[in-house]
Amino acid sequence: MAQEAHGALHDLLAVRGVTRRDFLKYCGSVAAMLGLSETMAPQIAAALEGAPKLMPALWLNGGSCTGCTESIAQVDTPDVATIVLDYLSFEYFETIMAAAGSWAEKNITKRAEEGGYILVYEGSVMTGQDGNTLFVGGGPENEGAKKGIEILEEAAANAAAVLAIGSCAVDGGWIAGYPNASEATGVAAWLQKKGIKTPVVSMPTCPVNPEWVVAMVVQLLLVADRDPAKFLQVTPMVEVPYNDPVTGEKVTLLMPKAIYGQTIHDNCPRRGHFENGEFVTELGSKEEAMGYCLYKVGCKGPQTFTQCPVTRWNRRASWCVESGAPCIGCGGLNWVDNNSPFLKRMSDMRIGDTFVQPGTIGAAVGAVAAAGLVLHGIGMKAAGRIGDGPPMEEMKAYDRKRLAKKGGDK
Amino acid sequence: MARVVVDPVTRIEGHLRVEVEVTNGKVSDAWVSGTLWRGMEKVLVNRAPEDAFWVSQRICGVCPISHSHASAQSCEDALGIKIPNNARIIRNLIEAAQYLHSHILWFYTLAALDYVNPVNALNADIADTYALAQAAGTRIADFGAVAARLKAFVENGQLSIFTGHEGWFGVGAEKHPGYVLPPELDLIATAHYLEALELQAVAAEIIGIMGGKFPHQMTSIPGGTAFVPTEQKLDDVLFRFTRVKEFIDTALIPDTLAIAPYILDAASFGGGCGNFLSWGVFEAEDLDPYNRYLPRGFVEVSKGLTAQEVGPDDVTEDVDHSWYDVPSGLNPKDGQTVPKFEPYSTQGKYSWGKAARCKGVPAEVGPLSRMLVAYVNGRPEVKSIIDDTLAKLSKAAGAQLQPTVLVSLLGRVAARNLEAKVVADWSIAWVLELIEALKGGDSSFFVTERADSGQGAGLWEAPRGSVGHWMTVEGGKIANYQVVAPTTWDIAPRDSKGVPGPMEQALIGTPVVDSERPLEVMRVAHSFDP
Ligand code: SF4
Ligand code: SF4
Repeated sequence: MAQEAHGALHDLLAVRGVTRRDFLKYCGSVAAMLGLSETMAPQIAAALEGAPKLMPALWLNGGSCTGCTESIAQVDTPDVATIVLDYLSFEYFETIMAAAGSWAEKNITKRAEEGGYILVYEGSVMTGQDGNTLFVGGGPENEGAKKGIEILEEAAANAAAVLAIGSCAVDGGWIAGYPNASEATGVAAWLQKKGIKTPVVSMPTCPVNPEWVVAMVVQLLLVADRDPAKFLQVTPMVEVPYNDPVTGEKVTLLMPKAIYGQTIHDNCPRRGHFENGEFVTELGSKEEAMGYCLYKVGCKGPQTFTQCPVTRWNRRASWCVESGAPCIGCGGLNWVDNNSPFLKRMSDMRIGDTFVQPGTIGAAVGAVAAAGLVLHGIGMKAAGRIGDGPPMEEMKAYDRKRLAKKGGDK
Repeated sequence: MARVVVDPVTRIEGHLRVEVEVTNGKVSDAWVSGTLWRGMEKVLVNRAPEDAFWVSQRICGVCPISHSHASAQSCEDALGIKIPNNARIIRNLIEAAQYLHSHILWFYTLAALDYVNPVNALNADIADTYALAQAAGTRIADFGAVAARLKAFVENGQLSIFTGHEGWFGVGAEKHPGYVLPPELDLIATAHYLEALELQAVAAEIIGIMGGKFPHQMTSIPGGTAFVPTEQKLDDVLFRFTRVKEFIDTALIPDTLAIAPYILDAASFGGGCGNFLSWGVFEAEDLDPYNRYLPRGFVEVSKGLTAQEVGPDDVTEDVDHSWYDVPSGLNPKDGQTVPKFEPYSTQGKYSWGKAARCKGVPAEVGPLSRMLVAYVNGRPEVKSIIDDTLAKLSKAAGAQLQPTVLVSLLGRVAARNLEAKVVADWSIAWVLELIEALKGGDSSFFVTERADSGQGAGLWEAPRGSVGHWMTVEGGKIANYQVVAPTTWDIAPRDSKGVPGPMEQALIGTPVVDSERPLEVMRVAHSFDP
């Protein structure tokens, strides 16, 4: 049931009161987010103008806090951005839809049968207690309820592509932090285990940054003509290998390179202070007032691959480091275990069941990270510029305990 | 007798299921079920106490700020930390921004569609709409343009998200009888729905500026705040609070008063258990919870409109009807988390939520609780706005309404919007307070000294209700962590004695006009902002 967009783009712009100039400006910022030159703006605008149809979409919440939905509501220049999002015709979106109960559930089943849609998935895949840590849609006495994992499988199997948004959907997020009592995992690993071949684009950070979602929608709907195969072709991706401890699957997570290709540290405005050895050693101090580098209070910018300093948050109002807080690396994999204690710098990381020091992590996360760390962290330490500060932790206490107990609970 | 089920309850945070029994057109029994379990408390054990600030707020993407503050306070209580005055004000401001964001979002984005029919708005006469907006003293928008936009949405099928494929609102003979507003008011509210999308984001920008990002902020770290304001940032914050306050004054409050006369029947049901808890929120200079801007207290209406003292030891949790394998009746500081699913049964276990109880009875939490506690404490700003609103509604109802009329669906909806107004006024004053403090030379934002063991509780209020975090720290690591979230209170299942929870009690007696589309059930569920 493809739906025709009756209003051409200029009608939509007129209805929203958006000028063509604003629109081009916005396309320029999307181009930048996609890693293209801003001179591509007219081409993106042309692609938008030529788009004849809406693309149906389903938005599902797994084990989520609804933070990613909240985040999407914080998108920049919403008048223009919503025009892009309006190309998606959401037929199921729990947090905004009027209908409830079976009235709402019908929409998923119907669309899944018809196919040709995008699935946006927010939250973890809840496999614990035999999948009963999340269930939806039962009748009286819960007759006929579906487990969250069943709904995901049904909706993903026939989708053109899945956008796994936010860290929870990527690898289970904080919910999968040790001991992962609800056995949460990510969309890509679960679908691979179930033999579902729909391509999954993984977009971590907790919550997802809304601008990046808009950029991916532009890319998929317009630059790639709604063709997921072409989408994967025209969107440079970093391929991140990940051993999922819940499913035992080795997956290759696809993350858009323009967004997840460089470290925060690479683009951080405080980087000059880092190079000069000017550090904040106490939160909220006069060094913070001078905007010094947060490395010594635990900043995970050097090991975290996102565009946060460039895109920023809340319609460019600010971002973590600018507000005076160290990055906690919520855009990394297994971010809670790998990055806590957050106020200590460069603790060791856990990849699956192996523990590695950041200097040797290159093989798994990308050689750039390791080089960055060696150069800027460990290298500087050798040069004696880092000096004192909170100690490096060799291994976190709970990991030590767990290793000793071989996987037992506390 | 018939069973009616709403699962999922949409337009909320998280996953909720409501099952009711309808007898003679009214709900005669109700079971409310939380259908998701994630295990936050277990993730926190053995980590650094400060880390709970970042991780625990991710329980809820709509009220993360309040969780982060409750967590920071539980850590500060456990480790003997007293935060600097600047940090107190900055936390109040971040919290206030979240209140304004959340209340605007709740009324327009989440709850409005229970009362406002955007399909019906297409029948509005544009000239009449302007006249009605003027008469109601509510905000004028380009109503013609909004109607055109709506029409485009309907024509290209994008309104299906609002209508459901087969029509939740319905048209013609199928029109849902519960939607009773005139089309002009539907159009006004739809216009403000669209504006609210912008204003909730402006409020969230304030959190972005002072807290790094929203949802999930970064700066209220145990010990104070990592945010050191500049003059520019304070200007940015003040400007945004002023814009949001203006929207609340010119849209949220008049819209509430314009819609209320059409739903006065909502004053006669949906009241619930009649016990109201508030831990208190917005810290005063002395950091005394009974002296907070919205103070701490417990009101049992059956015992009269007075507030009792209440503290962390008054809380217990029962699990007789919840999927846990732990003893009932534990205080959260000794709380345990051992999940154990078994088949859903309204006779047996039917929820992932524990049954939180205060002084042994179910307790409603949220704006209505806070406003009642503040009202009986005689907080002048709260008292005057409630008395004023009651006077206005009395006129519409043609009868003198008493404060106890607030214990109803209508009261719960109104209390939230009135609270938004009170907090918006305060927020401006707090920015000025911070500017004065900084001008006076106070440059302290964070204290680093702390003990490495202790037990503490952070009891605070999220926009949707009382939030408590309990933390035990041993040798610099978290030994036990328990959270009693707002939703835990309100959607609580039956307890050991079989007494239903607050939302369950509020549902009992609710009329159900169309059991296929149980709109009134949605209204009551949404009124808690679960
Ligand atoms: S360590 Fe953090 S604050 Fe310092 S330059 Fe790198 S990313 Fe920026
Ligand atoms: S800066 Fe770091 S903590 Fe902040 S959102 Fe980006 S990855 Fe997450």
